Amino acid sequence: MNIAQQVINGIVLGSGYACIALGWTILLGVARLVNFAHGQLYMLGAFVSWYAITKLGLPYPLAILMAIIVLGVIGLLMQSAMMRLVMTQNLTSLMIVTLGLGYVLQGGSALIFGGNPQTLPGTLARAKIDIGPLWFTWQDVLVLVVTLLLYGAVWLFTQRTRFGSVIRAVAEDPKLAELFGINAKLVYLGVFVFECSAVALGAALVAPRSPILTSMGFNEVIMTFVVVVLGGIGSIGGALAAGLGLGLFTAFFGAFVAPAYTTAAAFALLLALLVIRPAGLATK
Amino acid sequence: MTAIESPQPASIPLLRLAAVAAFIVMGFLLPRLLGGTSVAYSTLTTIAIFAVMCYGADIVLSYLGEVSLGHTVFWAIGGYAAANLSVKYGLNGWATAAATIALCLAAATFLGAVTLRTREFVFSLVTYAAAVVAYEIAFNWDAVGGSDGVVGIPPLKLPLLLTNFSGAMQEDLWPIAFALLLLTLAFIARFRRSRLGTTALMVQMNPALAASLGVDPRRIRLAVFVISAPITGLAGWLYAYQRAYVGPDMFESYFLVMMLTAIVLVGRRILLGPLIGTALLIAQQNLLSLGGDWNKIVLGSVLALVLIFWPAGLVGLYRRITKKT
Repeated sequence: MNIAQQVINGIVLGSGYACIALGWTILLGVARLVNFAHGQLYMLGAFVSWYAITKLGLPYPLAILMAIIVLGVIGLLMQSAMMRLVMTQNLTSLMIVTLGLGYVLQGGSALIFGGNPQTLPGTLARAKIDIGPLWFTWQDVLVLVVTLLLYGAVWLFTQRTRFGSVIRAVAEDPKLAELFGINAKLVYLGVFVFECSAVALGAALVAPRSPILTSMGFNEVIMTFVVVVLGGIGSIGGALAAGLGLGLFTAFFGAFVAPAYTTAAAFALLLALLVIRPAGLATK
Repeated sequence: MTAIESPQPASIPLLRLAAVAAFIVMGFLLPRLLGGTSVAYSTLTTIAIFAVMCYGADIVLSYLGEVSLGHTVFWAIGGYAAANLSVKYGLNGWATAAATIALCLAAATFLGAVTLRTREFVFSLVTYAAAVVAYEIAFNWDAVGGSDGVVGIPPLKLPLLLTNFSGAMQEDLWPIAFALLLLTLAFIARFRRSRLGTTALMVQMNPALAASLGVDPRRIRLAVFVISAPITGLAGWLYAYQRAYVGPDMFESYFLVMMLTAIVLVGRRILLGPLIGTALLIAQQNLLSLGGDWNKIVLGSVLALVLIFWPAGLVGLYRRITKKT
């Protein structure tokens, strides 16, 4: 039954990838912005929830809420600082600025939370469900359900409401959108705050699975890149499918080939696709 | 100061030559002028090595307008080549340097060819992912060092016709680091005036003009990316000898943030810009250190603030101030 267990593991891993990648997908695909501080934001989300649970004694749902709010505020500050670069669509500078801000977040978190690895206590993460020889935890179920709900809600919001078309209009041409009376700055702010809050939610849900470190940064979320590029940049359904597919790939590769090289293998997959279909992946 | 407007005033080449020679002599004697202590030597050696590291990324960022987040790979290739070949096979510095150059060219050609048709942020993403994967390989592959890295790298030996340079002490490494820095500067200066350098700038600044002149931007991009790799690689090569240890920490984002900050701090497309930027940043970290975490905050903030408020760097700031008053 090893294969069935690996399928479950794959879905568990994949829903986590998709959950963490959601904010990036929206940011990159819908608003065409980049944020290389994503990994550090993930780290911060995890540590804020850890702090809320272990130091403030808050229950898990409130800790998640706190992480979402704190990260939302940080997102607001970051985006306000970068607004001029965003409005001039200076993507090269934006990439480097977010990388620098991520480094600041990493240093600041190490000062506040200390350099030791911590574990997010989650009662759900220890609640195992056994079906015959197969097993998973209630936390895994929670991640999967929340991920599916979030993707559904975001898809409806961006594709079926007026706000969704407003965001896409701004991404297409911020100056032109402003001529039509849209406040482009507000839209960018909203999308960026959403990205930060979404990654906080993802971190609070996914991080109980493994120890957290203030230095984990990008290596922890490198799969996010692969998910976003594989899924076709900006495609919400594509990101969900790519996340789950990548989860299955990782689970099987880890179980049957070499667990230490799963990231390398996922990356090789990405490279192969970039060579075969560069235009189809790099453009919408 | 841009590469395009560089036809030299040919009337005073001798004076210019003398000034450059004076600067070189001054630079070489700088550690002795600063007291000749081993701290002065090691700090200046580090500055020289890190500046060379930055120049590799500088070519790509300043002349191609692309952000390579994968230059730590070349940096680590240099370090690992020096470490493994000198510890396991007892090869001298020339052989390890040649291996560094060859391996960097190969890695850059592969990475450049694969990302040839990707646009700006996908290029950065893929180069970054390449660095993460290279880290994973270096961390897990025990044959090249694994998670422990390679310890006990012997002193650098560069046998020449008459003498035998050896870098046993920090003081001995300085001439080599300084020579590497000079070579790099000469190469960059040559590159700025070369056909490739000016064409790369044209592709970045005016793609339409470049296309109408029949330039293939992909070929230019690949060429610039490939020649940038061995520069950063040779810096990593010397860094391995300076530290006598090489490990997966060569992939740390510190080096990446350091490269980018040193480039943008003074201003892009300025020959001495990365060198001055590196010197300022290393001086802060070595002499005015606030502790590891605060240094991270300083480095990251400098990078973000410069790009947000003075995109043209300190030189741009200086020009703006002098114009206003």
